[in-house]
Amino acid sequence: MKLSLIRTYSYYTFPNFHKPKTQSPSLCARLTRPVCSTSLKPKTPLFLRPPEYSATLSDLKRWQDWAKTLSSSIGSSFLDSDNGPDPSLLCRELNWLIEDSLEDHSVIPQLGIQDNSKNVRLKVDIAELYSLWKQRIEGRKPFQYIVGCEHWRDLVLSVEEGVFIPRPETELLVDLASDAVSNNEELRQGLWVDLGTGSGAIAIGIGRILGTRGRVIATDLNPLAASVAAFNVQRYSLQDVIEIRQGSWFEPLKDIEEKLSGVISNPPYIPSEDIPGLQAEVGRHEPRLALDGGFDGMDDLLYLSNCTALLLKPGGFFAFETNGEKQCKFLVDYLENDNAGSFCNMKIVSDFAGIPRFVTGFHQ
Amino acid sequence: MSSFWLKRSRSISSVLLQNLRTKTGTLDSSQFLNSIQSSQNHTVLPSGLSSFLLKALKNPSGSQYQQFLHRNSKGGFRFFSTQAVTEPSTADGLTVEGIVASQWTILDESESDWKSHAAAIAQSILVIKKRLQWNKLMVRLNFLSAELNKPNLWDDPVHAGRISREHGSLMGKMKEVKAFEQELLEHIDMIKLAREENDTELESESLKALLTMRRISNEKELEALLSGEQDPCPCYIEVQAGAGGTESMDWAAMVMEMYKSWAQQRGYKVTVVDEMPGEMAGIKRATIKVEGEYAFGYAKSEVGVHRLVRISPFDSGKRRHTSFAAVAVIPIMGDGSTRVQINESDLRIERYRAGGPGGQHANTTDSAVRIVHIPTGVTVTCQNERSQHQNKASAMAVLQSRLDQLEMARQAQMNAQHTQSLTDISWGNQIRTYVLHPYRMVKDLRTNYEVSDPDSVLEGDLDGFILSYLSASLDKDENEG
Repeated sequence: MKLSLIRTYSYYTFPNFHKPKTQSPSLCARLTRPVCSTSLKPKTPLFLRPPEYSATLSDLKRWQDWAKTLSSSIGSSFLDSDNGPDPSLLCRELNWLIEDSLEDHSVIPQLGIQDNSKNVRLKVDIAELYSLWKQRIEGRKPFQYIVGCEHWRDLVLSVEEGVFIPRPETELLVDLASDAVSNNEELRQGLWVDLGTGSGAIAIGIGRILGTRGRVIATDLNPLAASVAAFNVQRYSLQDVIEIRQGSWFEPLKDIEEKLSGVISNPPYIPSEDIPGLQAEVGRHEPRLALDGGFDGMDDLLYLSNCTALLLKPGGFFAFETNGEKQCKFLVDYLENDNAGSFCNMKIVSDFAGIPRFVTGFHQ
Repeated sequence: MSSFWLKRSRSISSVLLQNLRTKTGTLDSSQFLNSIQSSQNHTVLPSGLSSFLLKALKNPSGSQYQQFLHRNSKGGFRFFSTQAVTEPSTADGLTVEGIVASQWTILDESESDWKSHAAAIAQSILVIKKRLQWNKLMVRLNFLSAELNKPNLWDDPVHAGRISREHGSLMGKMKEVKAFEQELLEHIDMIKLAREENDTELESESLKALLTMRRISNEKELEALLSGEQDPCPCYIEVQAGAGGTESMDWAAMVMEMYKSWAQQRGYKVTVVDEMPGEMAGIKRATIKVEGEYAFGYAKSEVGVHRLVRISPFDSGKRRHTSFAAVAVIPIMGDGSTRVQINESDLRIERYRAGGPGGQHANTTDSAVRIVHIPTGVTVTCQNERSQHQNKASAMAVLQSRLDQLEMARQAQMNAQHTQSLTDISWGNQIRTYVLHPYRMVKDLRTNYEVSDPDSVLEGDLDGFILSYLSASLDKDENEG
């Protein structure tokens, strides 16, 4: 495999990365988009921060009561306006925020006791907790940006404002890939790509199901996403399996001569006209780059399909996430007609809500 | 009949153990015991011979029996040889039952009277045997021994593994009691000997040993309450609100809190698996996982409907209300035990409470999952984990345990060991009443055990109820058996 280590977008090798003098000119020329600065250093998720703060249990309890009241005050208004969270969901999030902020979880049951002057160690200042919860309720900031992480499959992935938060539905993409490699050793040991990786979720999920010689290259146009993905890869010690490259779709893969065993992607697929009406958490906070799929939402899906037909090896597997039944059917139809003869065994797979969500298939 | 059976089966088992995996001539042991087992299952007997045998067994003094013994005395059928059945006894023929029958006065532990100690220990041994359901244990052990003797046993390794594990654990349990019994009798022999020989040192040593045994026997009595195969397992406790809206949902939440505190006080680890809050207050239902030694053994006593009588805090008219909450307890069996195989194709997995187009449109931390096992209709939801994958895994674990429990109940019914219906096992009848008004009392309807301080009970002080139920239920079983 012709993968240059220097091109690896590793979090820890980052500082060296933009010292072109230390690298050969040819390598620099091959860099797809050398956009990086120290400001892109990923933020540490709350649960990984050191417990540098402390507060009494009753102070924490006071904050919790305040936050509960604030959460209840919204009633069903978020739900009614844009299918946003209701108070019971917000209260569950509040408990998770407490879990992530506390060093010692065993004190949580004691929060019910009034006037407890016992000190607990916190990973965030209590004043900051007030501000965070205000941002959650009043600013509709996604909970995952508040705590800096998203629990996805059996992973805890770092995310931050500017990086798309992986969705529960997308967990199934990894299961689909897992099914494809379950009795196919050739695919299990091959080269896979995750296009538009965001936080690196799919790539890490797949990296953990591949064989010892299996490799994943994950690309993202957004440099912040690439650096967050690299951080997550590092956290799961998968840097020997997964390489993060910054660039648009297949563009950073131009040096790869071998054909691909698998192509997986959750590209932006929301039709442009739907963007203004999105749930506040999504529309106001998540990167449009990861959401907007053009006029009918199919721009990127169609582009990826065409490239996949060229780069996938015979017997190679692909799986794409879509906006629902309409896009699934359109895509299958397109692949059968415009890429006639390229793919076989195409399937539309529904998510757990029963919405046709994924298109999968194999290269002829 | 019962004492005959007891002695017989004991001798059978001991012979069987010596002859493990050997096959004898015309009628081997497994055939014999099989026929007994099959008669319990009300299936047609495989041969005329075995029904004859059963008749002989049921009528031990009959001439057929004697004849049979005689005829077979030369064959491989050694169970019915004239070999004496020896109940452990002292040199002068005193047995544990004999000690209890002689009704020696049991004095305080501090009194150095060997007869008092011996009587106390002997009584404990009988209690332990009763609690272990000794007679049923014997029958079961014989059956298992017979199974182990079958030449084709290992054709089904899973079944074989289960049989041999259960056999091993029963043997261990029974050996322990036997050894304890033997120890008591040996000490009595020693004391008698010491007295004959005027050896005061030996006498006081043996007396001390008896005292130690007496103390241990109390612990053993308690342990014997939890001798079921699943008793050591962790478990799920599920609480479901009865009809009656907010009132009952509030009560369900109180019951759940009671179990959480009880489990925490016992040092168990408690994890909330699923919690469906009520609209106004309380919970519609919730499931917790309780991990720690004998969690299921204790918690299983709580299965049933719990009734609350109080002045409703939700009723502006301050009227008295009665609410119900149902409690189910499901053991989580270890990897060692056989578990029901779940086919992926039998499952319907759904995102719970999903709405709208989903995918990139929605940002939600709610990834609740519902799994329906289509063949049985068992439905499990889980919403307390932070990812859909984990919610699914958690729900699958609950589903697995529920199906295991259903299967166990089905088998138990087949073996006619339990007469409880499946619904009894899963939700059960009303077992306890908690009255906060007009008087204050908690009363268990099964044992009539009651306390006058509902607050302490609701704060998790349940052990009195649990222990009294466990001992009462075992006494009842033994009488029925």
